[in-house]
Amino acid sequence: MYPEDVRYTENHEWIGEEDGLYVVGISEYAQEQLGDVTYVELPEIGRHVRQKEPVAQVESVKAAEDIYAPVTGVIVEVNEALEGEPELINLDPYGRGWCFKMDDIDTAQYRRLMNREAYEKYLKSL
Amino acid sequence: MELKRTPLFECCEKSGGRFVDFHGWYLPVQFEGIISEHLHVRSHAGIFDCSHMGEFLIHGQDKMAHFSYLTCGDFTSLPVGKCRYTALLNRDSSILDDCVGIKLNEETLFVITNAGPLEQVSSLLCDSSVQAEDITQQLVKIDIQGPKSLDVLLDSNFNPQIKGLKYWTGGTFEYKGEKIIITRAGYTGELGYELYLPISIGPDIWDKLLSHPEVKPCGLGARDTLRTEMGYPLNGQDILPGSTPLMASMDRFIDWEHDFVGKDLLLQQKDRGDYRILTGIKTNTRQAPRRNQKLMFQDHEIGEVTSGTYGPSVGVGVGLAMLDKRVANPGTVLQVAERSLQIEVSSIPIYQNGTARKKVS
Repeated sequence: MYPEDVRYTENHEWIGEEDGLYVVGISEYAQEQLGDVTYVELPEIGRHVRQKEPVAQVESVKAAEDIYAPVTGVIVEVNEALEGEPELINLDPYGRGWCFKMDDIDTAQYRRLMNREAYEKYLKSL
Repeated sequence: MELKRTPLFECCEKSGGRFVDFHGWYLPVQFEGIISEHLHVRSHAGIFDCSHMGEFLIHGQDKMAHFSYLTCGDFTSLPVGKCRYTALLNRDSSILDDCVGIKLNEETLFVITNAGPLEQVSSLLCDSSVQAEDITQQLVKIDIQGPKSLDVLLDSNFNPQIKGLKYWTGGTFEYKGEKIIITRAGYTGELGYELYLPISIGPDIWDKLLSHPEVKPCGLGARDTLRTEMGYPLNGQDILPGSTPLMASMDRFIDWEHDFVGKDLLLQQKDRGDYRILTGIKTNTRQAPRRNQKLMFQDHEIGEVTSGTYGPSVGVGVGLAMLDKRVANPGTVLQVAERSLQIEVSSIPIYQNGTARKKVS
């Protein structure tokens, strides 16, 4: 997964398509702001979630932040590697630091999310 | 209001510090990263810019007696060269600030206070019969903390006599013709020294220490995780407005033999025994307790988390909480309200392997 291929939310989640499922993580900017991630609370598999619903939590030494569902859909897989190595989010936020996968998503919502260019513009406005 | 900068601001900026507002000061929260700085202090040595803290001189034994009246400790009996931790009290026996005093000589007490209530503390100490001298603006404070900190100071041409300093002692030393105050103290649980330097030499000493291969610059973030693992309270966060020394678990720092402001009220509170006390807590996973979380015991709310973080040296969540006295016993298991997180009351320090008290000479 490369940052060019994914879409972004204003809350700094990214979502991208991979083998028919949609992978969700937090952006480089979000991991940088959080600092060392120490714990990730992942959602239940099978859970139906609505867009912008809090579904997971990332804790760093500084803060605990919610991760929101970037689109409406179903959680079908979570990244269990984060239980033992939450720092993967810092090291590789678009790769091994992914958080969960979704299916049956609202593709119209997905298309309306920011592409990389729009997200970079958004970051500059913060 | 514009944030204040310490004389070490440029040094910290040069070292890649990421700055935040801390009680009106623009201070580095981290450099390389909180966890790596934390672990470096536990294994090597780190330096912290603590120039935002307050410093006062109290001259003469009668003034020290006046000062003692404002605190729960008695500084008239303090031997020369010794540090003592205490709390400055309000009339209602609540804590205005916690602070450390060290007797530099028979006639001079040096007092170190926090940045938060500095204005109030300064007017209390300077405009009262204590007639203290506020020297906050004249000093740079660098804390060097970690098992290698003595080696670093000796390699950096500090007076070899500092080898003789035992834990919680200090004195006045010369460094290149300048008088500096050094205490063997700190806020991390590791062997360490607090350096009080004239502003003119502060930045040079920061750079000199930083050029040592064992040293990394450290920010407020690591200071917070290090002190939380030790169970040291932070005024304004763990010591909340209205907290008395009894509630802050400062029993062993209360000298009941001397007269002090609010003593009657404090005695009454002690007799009633119906207050909450500050206690160490920990989790059994990497998940951390978080400030303001309500804590439950057998479905009753019995307290609140005041500090919480992941403890990099213990591998679990650590923190401090204000708890009903009856449940504040190590081993008692509590529940975070509305969450599945389990919390255990912990003895202090939570991290047990600190080198602060290590024999060095």
